[in-house]
Amino acid sequence: MSEILNANPTIRNASDLPSRRRQDTTQSLSKTPKGLFASTVPASAYLPDPFSPHSLDSDLSEDDDNEIEPIDEQEIYDLISPISDPEHPLTLGSLSVVNLPDIHLTPTFPEKGAASPLTTLTVLITPTITHCSLATVIGLGVRVRLEQALPPRFRVDVRIKEGTHSTAEQVNRQLGDKERVAAALENGTLVGVLRKMLEGCESGAA
Amino acid sequence: MSDVQRYLLAVDPDKTKASIIAKGTAEKLESKNTTLIEVVQSLGEYINEEDATIRARTIVYLSEVIGQLSPTFLSRQQIQILCQFLCARIEDGGAVDGLRKLQGLGRFNTEMAVTTFRAMLEHFQDLQIRPQSQRLQILELLNDLMSNHRNGLKGLGDESIVGITDLVSGEKDPRNLMVIFSILKVIMVEWDISGHAETLFDSIFCYFPITFRPPPDDPYGITAQDLKSRLRDCVAASSFFAPYAFPQLIDKLDSTSPNVKKDVLQTITACASSYSLTTVSNYSVTLWESIKFEILNVQEEDLAEEALTSLQAIAIRLSRGLDSTDPKTPLARYLRPIMKECNEQLHEPQQKQAKPAGQILSALGIASPVAFYLIVKTVVPPLNTLYQDADSIGKQRALLEVLVQLLDSAVAVYGTPSIPAPTTTTENALEPFKDRLFELSSQALMSTAADEVSFRVVALKALLRLCVLRKYLQDNEIGMAVQYFDEIVLVEDPSGKDDLKKEAIRALVEISRIKPNLIMDITFPAFMSKLPDFSLAENQDYLITLEGLAQLSVEKFVSDTLIRRLLHRLDVVLQNDGSSAYPRAILSTLHYVLSQRDLPHDSNLGSYHEKIVVGLISRVVLASTGEAPTTALNEEATLEILGRLATMIVRALEDHKQNSVAIQVYSLFADEGTFTPVPFRKDTPKLQRSTMILSTALMAGVGRSVALQYTDSDNASIQRLLAELVRLALIEDVPAIRQAILRQIGLLTNKFLPSQETRDVTDYLRNIVSGLLGTATMTENAVRVVFWEAKGLILRLAHTDDVLERLLCLLSSPGCGLVSARGFSLLLAPDEVLCKENGASIRLLANQKVFNICVPRIAKEFRTAETSIKPNYLIALSGILKHMPTKVVMPEVDTLLPLLLQSVDLEDSNVKAATIQTLAVISQESPKAVEGHMGSLVTRLLKSASNSKATTASVRHNALRCLRIFPGRVKDSTLLSYRNAVTRGLLVALDDPKRQVRKEAVECRAAWFNMDEPQSD
Repeated sequence: MSEILNANPTIRNASDLPSRRRQDTTQSLSKTPKGLFASTVPASAYLPDPFSPHSLDSDLSEDDDNEIEPIDEQEIYDLISPISDPEHPLTLGSLSVVNLPDIHLTPTFPEKGAASPLTTLTVLITPTITHCSLATVIGLGVRVRLEQALPPRFRVDVRIKEGTHSTAEQVNRQLGDKERVAAALENGTLVGVLRKMLEGCESGAA
Repeated sequence: MSDVQRYLLAVDPDKTKASIIAKGTAEKLESKNTTLIEVVQSLGEYINEEDATIRARTIVYLSEVIGQLSPTFLSRQQIQILCQFLCARIEDGGAVDGLRKLQGLGRFNTEMAVTTFRAMLEHFQDLQIRPQSQRLQILELLNDLMSNHRNGLKGLGDESIVGITDLVSGEKDPRNLMVIFSILKVIMVEWDISGHAETLFDSIFCYFPITFRPPPDDPYGITAQDLKSRLRDCVAASSFFAPYAFPQLIDKLDSTSPNVKKDVLQTITACASSYSLTTVSNYSVTLWESIKFEILNVQEEDLAEEALTSLQAIAIRLSRGLDSTDPKTPLARYLRPIMKECNEQLHEPQQKQAKPAGQILSALGIASPVAFYLIVKTVVPPLNTLYQDADSIGKQRALLEVLVQLLDSAVAVYGTPSIPAPTTTTENALEPFKDRLFELSSQALMSTAADEVSFRVVALKALLRLCVLRKYLQDNEIGMAVQYFDEIVLVEDPSGKDDLKKEAIRALVEISRIKPNLIMDITFPAFMSKLPDFSLAENQDYLITLEGLAQLSVEKFVSDTLIRRLLHRLDVVLQNDGSSAYPRAILSTLHYVLSQRDLPHDSNLGSYHEKIVVGLISRVVLASTGEAPTTALNEEATLEILGRLATMIVRALEDHKQNSVAIQVYSLFADEGTFTPVPFRKDTPKLQRSTMILSTALMAGVGRSVALQYTDSDNASIQRLLAELVRLALIEDVPAIRQAILRQIGLLTNKFLPSQETRDVTDYLRNIVSGLLGTATMTENAVRVVFWEAKGLILRLAHTDDVLERLLCLLSSPGCGLVSARGFSLLLAPDEVLCKENGASIRLLANQKVFNICVPRIAKEFRTAETSIKPNYLIALSGILKHMPTKVVMPEVDTLLPLLLQSVDLEDSNVKAATIQTLAVISQESPKAVEGHMGSLVTRLLKSASNSKATTASVRHNALRCLRIFPGRVKDSTLLSYRNAVTRGLLVALDDPKRQVRKEAVECRAAWFNMDEPQSD
């Protein structure tokens, strides 16, 4: 990379990014009271009796197993926010390039109701500056990540958020065009850049 | 034949023999049977030989003779003659070695050193064409001269500087360079080098940066780091180098290699720390201008760290001996442009470069009290204004973060009441801002919308630092802060603010270390008053209060009071009916607090024993007989926690007290008339049977040598008790009580049974097993008894073969095979009662032995077993492997793998999960072993991962995790053929109903996608 386009972007604090943990605490607290420090009031350490054929897993009991957790916007956000920016060692989430309210999940055929599991996913990207020439690369990174991580019943649509980029239309056309996306993924240098961007997703997922 | 002749004949075939000859000559010299002149003369005919090898060997002979002489034998004159002789012959091999020996002698003087040195310069102009080992020897001679006759060489002045730099130039071997760097460093530090700074500098800086990489299994053990440190010492050796060093280092900072950059920064740090004040001052601003890029545009964290260290080193150097805050000092001049730049960055506090600006200020503030003073004076006022004018919480938070960083340096410079820093006369520049800072952080913490968690966490950190900073806030101000922290923990709505509460408790703990009285006076009463007297089923806020109290009890003084109050509160709560969760939580808290104490040396141990062990247990017993009302204490779950508490206390008691506990293990401190112990009694009601849980706890706590109740000195009394416990276990149907009795069986066989009686117990075990095999109507309880007894015996390695033999027989039984198979996981499972701390005998080799006996048997019998009982073998195997250390399993991987693959197919989800876990460990540790089975592994794991109807979430999760291990560990060429199948197969798991499973599937898929593609750059 020859020159950094935006050397001093605004950063969001990691603890302020939307996360599932904060949303969930109210529910989980009522179910199983848990303290702040696991070591202070330990659960009974008596091992379950191995002779009785009940499940040994305490964290995932049978009831829980039947409960379905659908794929929601937060999950999509968690998939793409750790992607790193091609310019900075910072994530797309902390640079506010991807934002939770800009992720939309809608049934592709609402008239069919639950009979059709097909879902359309729209992700709007906000480049850090309006003339960012890397917007396409970022969009491509988001797209590749989602295509690898979502089951085939999802239709992925990645576009630039309206009014945030000078050549949004051109970029959108590029991102929407399957053949151009495929062609781009044949380009060795580009694949290298994308791989570097997606590296953070693996380690950061823990 | 002369000695030298004999030596020359002997040296080629046998070096030792030759050495003995040389030693003989030395002895002759010492005993005056020959003279030095004669010895030297005897060399005559060989020393002028055409053949260089013979000449060299002759000199080696002489050198060896010199080496064998006692250090004071040679006179000065003789040394002089030898020295001249060897210098004349210096190019012949061996002479250098001889000179090294000579120069080590006390009578070798400066003059001779100079002669030697000059001979070296004269003859070794062509040093680099000689082989490495010779060069090293020559350099070592030079090094010896430098250490033993330094003044002689120093007296030569320029001659030695020029001579040595010429001599060593062009060296490339790392071993030789190590010597050269240390020789040159001496010259740089001790010689007057003003006229030769550039020459000397060039002679070492040509090696910068070091890119040496030692060959694999390098016999010399010289690392790149060794070379780097020595070279760095040279660069930093003299201020005269600054005009050459700094520009070149700054130049090299543009390198693209992070390693080079790191080396440059570390060298700058070394130079800044050792060059003279004026020199560092001259370059300080230039250095800042070049280094700041690394911090503000951080690309790699550790480089930014190094850069901060460099900036800090400059400030430390410029602060040395300085106590003036005058703006004209070199330090002030250095800091001025830095503070200006940082202040500018802070105008946009949310942008990327604001955080590094804060780091720079903090790192420099730590450098010295004066530096801190200057920074605070220049930075805090505008920071305060910016904070007031900030239009968003995000900005305020970023500014507060900078403040926290500055306060960190304040704590480093001025210390805390418990860790005072070195005294300084410089006043704390934060003094005038005290009220403002306290107000600002208190407001941010307490008057902000409750859901601005991250902002409030930062405010809390700032407030805490103000509190702990030495000689800063008054006690009443710290008291206010303590009240705020209390309020956050106790009053605020618990949902979603865990982070803040956690931080608040940590802050209180920290304050309790420096101001325990504030915690006692303010926090303690506030927390205690929050603990209800009643146990309410739905409200469990007391948990956080209890946890807070437990965490706060780090100071003995605090924890003494806490224990007293908690016992009192427990008493009150027990008098009121209600859920047992609350009393259990109080007991757990007591357990935690006591576990933090050094109980055996605690002066209150006696009272804990009286109140908790005797007091509470008696209460349980009285209630069980109807003498007193039953309370939450009589519930089994509560009894278990009380038991743990009792075990911990009894363990710490002295021997004679343990004895008195031991004889009441079953009567439980009750009078004979009021309570009849459970053993040897029929039809005991459940309430009384449940006291067995407490008996187990006491039995676990006492030492192995005490005499338990119902056992006396006569033989086999323990066996009698054991038989009674077996009887009780067989008929017990309450799981918790049964478990307690089984544990007693384990404790008896393992801890109390004398070794001479283990044979009898093994026979007894055999009888039960035969009984089980004989009857069709087996009881699960009997199998339990068998396995617990076996566990006790196996862990102490008593008759292990025999016992395991019996257990393995059970596997093929149609009646109890399945239950027995499950029992194998019990044998080596860690247990909180049967453990080392409780005096159980757990031999190190038990694991290995169980493995060695069971695995081959299982593998063999599995092959011929009937289909219907095959699963039993696999279940038993998975149970054994569950607790087996990896290093025991690995050698047998080839035997195990086929079995493990089959047990993945079993229905039983516990076995499936355990097996997949074992497979994961094996794949991780020895990818080669699984390579041949990749096809069936992949198919089975994919199947287990995809079937959300038939497998539990944890099995699917583990299967995916195992599948993810292969890419990168197993050869790509093996994996490639499965890649498409895996990435396609994982599509199902990507749509799993469980989020946790999907997440693992995503990671697994990414790993398989990325495995082979070559890096395209």
